[in-house]
Amino acid sequence: MASKAQRMPLGLRILTYGFVLVWFILAAFPFFWTFWGSFKVELDFFSIADWTNALTGERTKAAYDSAFTGAAYKGAWVQEEFWRNVINTFIVCFFVVCTSLTIGTLGGYALSRSSFRYTFWLLITALIFRAMPPITLVAGYLLPFFEWNVWGILPTTIIVLVAINQPFTLWMLHSFFQNIPKELDESAKVDGCTQFQAFRHVIVPVMWPGVITTGLFSFLLAYNDFAVTAMLLSESNRTMVPAIAAFLGTTYTEGNVMFAVAAVVSATAPLFILVMVFQRQIVSGLTAGAVKG
Amino acid sequence: MAEIQLRNVGKRWGSFVGVDNFDLTIADKEFLVLLGPSGCGKTTTMRMIAGLEDASEGDILIDGKKVNDLEPKDRDVAMVFQSYALYPNMNVYENIRFPLKVRGIDPSTHDEKVRRASAMVELDDFLHRKPAELSGGQRQRVALARAIVREPNVFLMDEPLSNLDAKLRVSTRAQIKNLSHELAVTTIYVTHDQIEAMTLADRVVVMKQGVVQQLGSPTDIYDKPANSFVASFIGNPAMNLMTGIMAGGTFEAQNVRIEGLHAPDGPVTLGFRAEDAGLGDAGHHEITAPIYTLELLGDATMVTVRIGGELVAVRAPKDFRSEIGDTVSLSVPAAICHLFDAKTGARIEA
Repeated sequence: MASKAQRMPLGLRILTYGFVLVWFILAAFPFFWTFWGSFKVELDFFSIADWTNALTGERTKAAYDSAFTGAAYKGAWVQEEFWRNVINTFIVCFFVVCTSLTIGTLGGYALSRSSFRYTFWLLITALIFRAMPPITLVAGYLLPFFEWNVWGILPTTIIVLVAINQPFTLWMLHSFFQNIPKELDESAKVDGCTQFQAFRHVIVPVMWPGVITTGLFSFLLAYNDFAVTAMLLSESNRTMVPAIAAFLGTTYTEGNVMFAVAAVVSATAPLFILVMVFQRQIVSGLTAGAVKG
Repeated sequence: MAEIQLRNVGKRWGSFVGVDNFDLTIADKEFLVLLGPSGCGKTTTMRMIAGLEDASEGDILIDGKKVNDLEPKDRDVAMVFQSYALYPNMNVYENIRFPLKVRGIDPSTHDEKVRRASAMVELDDFLHRKPAELSGGQRQRVALARAIVREPNVFLMDEPLSNLDAKLRVSTRAQIKNLSHELAVTTIYVTHDQIEAMTLADRVVVMKQGVVQQLGSPTDIYDKPANSFVASFIGNPAMNLMTGIMAGGTFEAQNVRIEGLHAPDGPVTLGFRAEDAGLGDAGHHEITAPIYTLELLGDATMVTVRIGGELVAVRAPKDFRSEIGDTVSLSVPAAICHLFDAKTGARIEA
């Protein structure tokens, strides 16, 4: 039971809960609204005449005899073959995460264990590249990619995304590695490991939460990227985000905007699941080093 | 079976000298303690033997074989780190087993070896626990077990007791002594605690700023310190040191007059141990000074006076009582005195 000293006055308690409630509604409303609207027709959800149509679904009822319809999903997934974009996104994400984590863990480990001065400057250089907007890099890439005939395909995009992503993963993993005492490596080496075995058997298992957290951030960057994927992918190779943008760009045909809404919901759902599954690792990864182990 | 030879080994970082011209042969099965204040190069010396640090100059030989260019894993040494460096993701059993596993030792023998090592340090009941679930003393014993499990040629211990509380330190010290006797393996032990050095060592190396000050048995170092630094570092309390003038075999300083010494005239540093001296009587009262402080130790009373800015302590009987500020006379016969050169600090032999 809470002691008297810990108990808050009633007014303050109402204020706190009220604030949390308002914040929750503000934060969650757009998602619920989009989710709700994705089962309507365009004339309801984007109704100019009466916004309450989005709630009641007048036009949806008129068209499909029900206040809810999966027409937008069907249009997006079947007619527009959105599943191809989904597959493309996952191919891009998979390779971006794998490549940047491999380079990031090896590089971060090497930099954290190196006693040379230049490691500091390497990291600063990485930070500068991280600070640049990705689009500034893409402009420079475009011409050579056309010339070499590698524009529009997934591998090119993956390489560019890895390049943009790498400074961040390097920094993040480097700081995780620095929190692991050097004695652990040394102890492993005296116990009979080579440098790489020490890394593989001793350091990586300790680092695991950090690798997962970094991998997740890296995944999100690739998943959410618009600038690079929109500029570098041809229409047939689009990932989800530029595909959604393309649906929005064709407002002349009725229904296409609803494809975008349905696609947005489809694209958001996996993120929720992902964060739910990995929440424990993310939190422990983000707070690793805050507490002495 | 391992004799370790250090031939003029040195370590430099730029112009900074970590270890200077270290020359020593450590006999097989010897327990050698490297003793010194922090930053004296004792840990660096050990790390060079382990292969975790490259020697800038000189050769390191284990069993007559030059190991300068060998990886730590190929030197057949085991090391206990100050922070223990246990693998946090493995339980105690896996921690102890790790050296066997990575060295590809026949898996069928692992279980027996791990259990024998853990029994030696009384960890049988904790094998399934993770290091985070152990107390400091238990972690320390896991580190010891991990070192002994594969029966290496050389043991290296880097201040293994410094993270333990005082009581545990005494019992673990006894355990290490017993263990080293049982295993009979060449051991190099680094510490800044002179009591550990005295109790454990066959031989002690006292170091200061990368230079060896004295090498000898604990008794040698205690009874015949080679210079005033060693004298002030060894013993609890450390040796009393005071500066004064020597004239015709008589040492004189403020409130002090000691006759019958043999040393050339001029300024000298005189030292004696608190437990050798005592309260003065009609015949012996070399020091007569006001009491600076009195400390009851239980088995004795420590009487401290001030001589020319230095505190000088003398062990008096436990029932001695007096007040701070009262004048006391102390007996410091010439026989218990050590003389050191006032400038270089080197011992002056009588």
